[in-house]
Amino acid sequence: MSLRRGALWLLPGLILAAAAVLARPGASYAYQDRETVLAGSSLQHPAGTDDLGRDRLVRVSGALLISLTGSLVAAAITTAAAAGVGTLAAFGPAVVGWSAMLVCDVFLALPWMFLLMMVRAAMPLTTSPAHSASITFLVLAALGWPACARAVYRGAVAQRTSGWMLHARSTGLRRAQVIHHILPNLLPLLIPQFLVSIPAFVIAEANLGALGLGISEPLPSWGGMLFELNNSAMLLETRWVYFPLALLIVVLLALEGAAAEA
Amino acid sequence: MATAGRWLAQTIAVVLLVMVGTTTLLRFAPGYFSDAREMDARYAAVTRAELSAEAARSHSLTQMLGTEIGGWIHGNSGVSRQFGVPVWELIQPRLAVSGALLLRGIALAWTLALFASILSSAGRRPSLLWQVPAAILLAVPAAALATLCLLINSGGPVLVLALLLAARDFKFLHRALHKAWLDPHVLHARAQGVRTRHLLRAHIVPALLPQLGALASLSIVTALSALVPIEVIFNVPGIGELAWNAALNRDLPVLLAVTMILALAVVCSGVGSHRTAAWREA
Amino acid sequence: MRPSGIVLIASAGLLLLAARSIAAQEGPRLPGELVWTIGYDPKTFDPAKVDDQESETVRYLTAGVLLRFNRLTQQVEPDLAQSWTVSPDGRTVRFTLRPGLEFSDGSSLTARDVVWSLRRVLLPATQAPVGEEFLEPDKVSVEAFDDRTIVVHLPERVIGIGKVFDEIAIEPAGRPSDGRVTSGPFYVSGYRRSQNISLRRNAHYFDKDVAGHALPYASGIRLDIEENTEQEIRLFRRGDYDLIDNLPPDYFELLKRTEPASVRDLGPSLNTEQMWFNQSPASPLPDWEKAWFRNRAFRVAVSQAIHRDDLARIAYEGHATPAYSFISPANTVWYDRSLTAPHTDVAEARAALQAAGFRRQGSVLLGPDAHPVRFSILTDTDNAARLKMATLIQQDLAALGMQVTVVTLDFPALIDRLMHTQDYEACLLGLENVDPDPNAMMNLWLSSSPNHQWNPSEKTPATPWEAEIDRLMKLQASTGLDAVRRQAVDRVQQIVADEQPFIYLVYPNLLVAYSPRLEGVRPAVLEPHLTWNADRLKLRGQDER
Repeated sequence: MSLRRGALWLLPGLILAAAAVLARPGASYAYQDRETVLAGSSLQHPAGTDDLGRDRLVRVSGALLISLTGSLVAAAITTAAAAGVGTLAAFGPAVVGWSAMLVCDVFLALPWMFLLMMVRAAMPLTTSPAHSASITFLVLAALGWPACARAVYRGAVAQRTSGWMLHARSTGLRRAQVIHHILPNLLPLLIPQFLVSIPAFVIAEANLGALGLGISEPLPSWGGMLFELNNSAMLLETRWVYFPLALLIVVLLALEGAAAEA
Repeated sequence: MATAGRWLAQTIAVVLLVMVGTTTLLRFAPGYFSDAREMDARYAAVTRAELSAEAARSHSLTQMLGTEIGGWIHGNSGVSRQFGVPVWELIQPRLAVSGALLLRGIALAWTLALFASILSSAGRRPSLLWQVPAAILLAVPAAALATLCLLINSGGPVLVLALLLAARDFKFLHRALHKAWLDPHVLHARAQGVRTRHLLRAHIVPALLPQLGALASLSIVTALSALVPIEVIFNVPGIGELAWNAALNRDLPVLLAVTMILALAVVCSGVGSHRTAAWREA
Repeated sequence: MRPSGIVLIASAGLLLLAARSIAAQEGPRLPGELVWTIGYDPKTFDPAKVDDQESETVRYLTAGVLLRFNRLTQQVEPDLAQSWTVSPDGRTVRFTLRPGLEFSDGSSLTARDVVWSLRRVLLPATQAPVGEEFLEPDKVSVEAFDDRTIVVHLPERVIGIGKVFDEIAIEPAGRPSDGRVTSGPFYVSGYRRSQNISLRRNAHYFDKDVAGHALPYASGIRLDIEENTEQEIRLFRRGDYDLIDNLPPDYFELLKRTEPASVRDLGPSLNTEQMWFNQSPASPLPDWEKAWFRNRAFRVAVSQAIHRDDLARIAYEGHATPAYSFISPANTVWYDRSLTAPHTDVAEARAALQAAGFRRQGSVLLGPDAHPVRFSILTDTDNAARLKMATLIQQDLAALGMQVTVVTLDFPALIDRLMHTQDYEACLLGLENVDPDPNAMMNLWLSSSPNHQWNPSEKTPATPWEAEIDRLMKLQASTGLDAVRRQAVDRVQQIVADEQPFIYLVYPNLLVAYSPRLEGVRPAVLEPHLTWNADRLKLRGQDER
């Protein structure tokens, strides 16, 4: 139990620590110290520097704040949208359910990559990295819900025909009166969905960098740092490339702990 | 019979909408009328001729759609824009490769996730032992996991796909099982000393079944999206790799065929779980 | 808990099964076979229709040609032709074939086959890209005098005409075979799409080594289609691949650490990496931005603010050379040592901007129009070094008060902006030079050309200096006098250095790896760097046949 309580405090602690690192005088996530590229741990750079000589600790801290906010918001939006669409489809009129699932199926099969390219084409090229980042997370949220909505729909349909629901309906409760009992029963589906979406969005943001979206240089992107793991040459260069990954794992465990408490 | 009819109508609607959507997206996305070879002095003239032919062909969207959909109705899948060979010839050998990869990956993932979640939820302390590997697998991008496999020279596409899926499935199963163990009747039975194995068979696994349907469709969708980086990195000649190249080269006929297959897979995964639910209702 | 034991064993078994199923994709190597990779499926095996890099690779290895441009000596040498002559006016080329030539199927090769192959390339219906190099292909005539003599009449002089024949495969008359019957060292024997191409040794190939052994040495070549560098390096280290051409700098360093005997840095390549500003009047950019980009002082100041040494040292891990011109020092014939170009000098850049009406307000630079100087640099997604360079330049230009955003796009979307919509401010890309002769860059420098990147397809030259470049490039293309050509090209280099329409950044070094067991490798700066003499390559310890 103490472990879980620890987990609850871990996340705010990490965020505070990251903010403190960023607020330290002289800390810059963009400044390239070109004489110390890919340096190891030192007093000046406790977590070393990246391949352009930027302080890794500051960058990871910045990335933590940016990507975590972005992916938390995006994951919350997707999960809420999925819950809404899924329950509506299951408890609404049959036509609504049928068409909602149709839309989900179509959504899942379309090559959205090209929509993202159009989004990029519609944005001015000088869009600031911060704007580009927020647009990216919103787009991800807007595209992420159908798979989960389908699962929620199946879950809700099962609830609809479950014993307690039949019982409640037979005692004369109206549909609207029982619907708020549905949500707690869908939590075993929604909470993992929320938790799984967070790392997925952190990573997806970096994937979109290829299309000119995402968190662009010089803002630090957590996903971008995880993608350094794609490069075996980089892996052999310094062990600090695993640092963002380790931090993400810690964050995920902390979130898991917090969710277990819920 | 009515269900079958409805399913057919839904499938046709999905496929048609996907065709229209894909064609529109691709046609209006930047780069449909350009080619990297335009920059190469040696090939620029020829490339420009090809592109203007393509521009004439796809001048109006309705006409394009008419050609593509008409072609498919007559069983003609069109000719690949980048390779100049019939699309079906490209897809057919790859279907089996990707299909086998997906099936083996998903089967292995489900086995791993089921056993891991049963073990973790049955234990007194559903602990870090299980959550840590799951968190690691969720945090590592698919492509990075594949690269790590190459680096340490072990593990292959099936394993990577399975591990990625297993971590996600585990998250769901663990929670569902956890809830099942805490059901009043199960708690009661445990207090009376009913053996774990018996509880599993009699209460836990049956309580899990309706969840599995919902999970299955999620799992297939995740697998399909992980297919591209895994096939590209391991150089597996499958549908994912083809789709990726088709997207980069704006190869509409190939991409249409791939998205249609994808749409069918998605619809089928939904049907599978729906039937489970229907069967339980009966 | 009892079931857990069973479960663990079962899952371990499954894991092993899954792990076992990999890496079966590469077939075993045949005796005497060489193996390396190409990046994607060739678009065609028809040597006349080659219009992409990998088709070109296959053509190079399989096609028999009249003349071969020696990639090492950079001289045109007779190949299927025993001798050749060009008339003084450059309009008649006469070839005499070697006696007793044969195709790979054993049929004899005569002037008839040569005439047929040349005419096929010249025919508009074939749409052969190489046909364009004759300038007016429909006015070229080809005739056979006898079984071994062929005469080609051109309507006008073509600079570097010898090299054009390096790209024309001689095929059996009337029987085009997509490379299955060739007169070169190898022929195509098998193709599995997206997996590999098998080439077999042509037993009827004419060439022999000094000791009289028939060439090629290798029994065949397998080209695996592999786009992932990680996989390629892994298989190279395992000995499955014999060589890697064009290594990215980070992987070069990796291999250097693990197999130091197999990597080579061949120094600057012929390629350049450059950045340029969009000067097209047709672009949708606001007028004040167009005015900055057309301002010579602005471009020169940007060029002076960039620390090219840092680009080479950091983005390329030292495997690049700072660049100031379009001709690389690797191009020994055309490189101009007396060229003067603006070098890094931030103070001077600031002063020049001020003189041109730009002024600082805090950390922000304002244009003469009082708009803050803010623009984006486009680059492509696939090249890690380019993104690093753009990020380094971002900081370099911040020192002048310019706010730069870096945007990466996939290639078609990037080309769409560069060539069609003109909707971009600055771009950072590379140019690959396959031909050392500056004449090959004609369509880059002519102001009327669509490949005149900073301002494509100008109806009349927009500036006097572009008009002068046009004149000089046309001059060098029409004269047969080397000294005149040389002078013209030197002058073009100086104009480009003064005006900075392209801001040259680095010449990436040519990085290669090849197995220490591979004999006969003589790396060349021209493509295909390692395999230009594929007929003389063999693995030590392998049987010659």
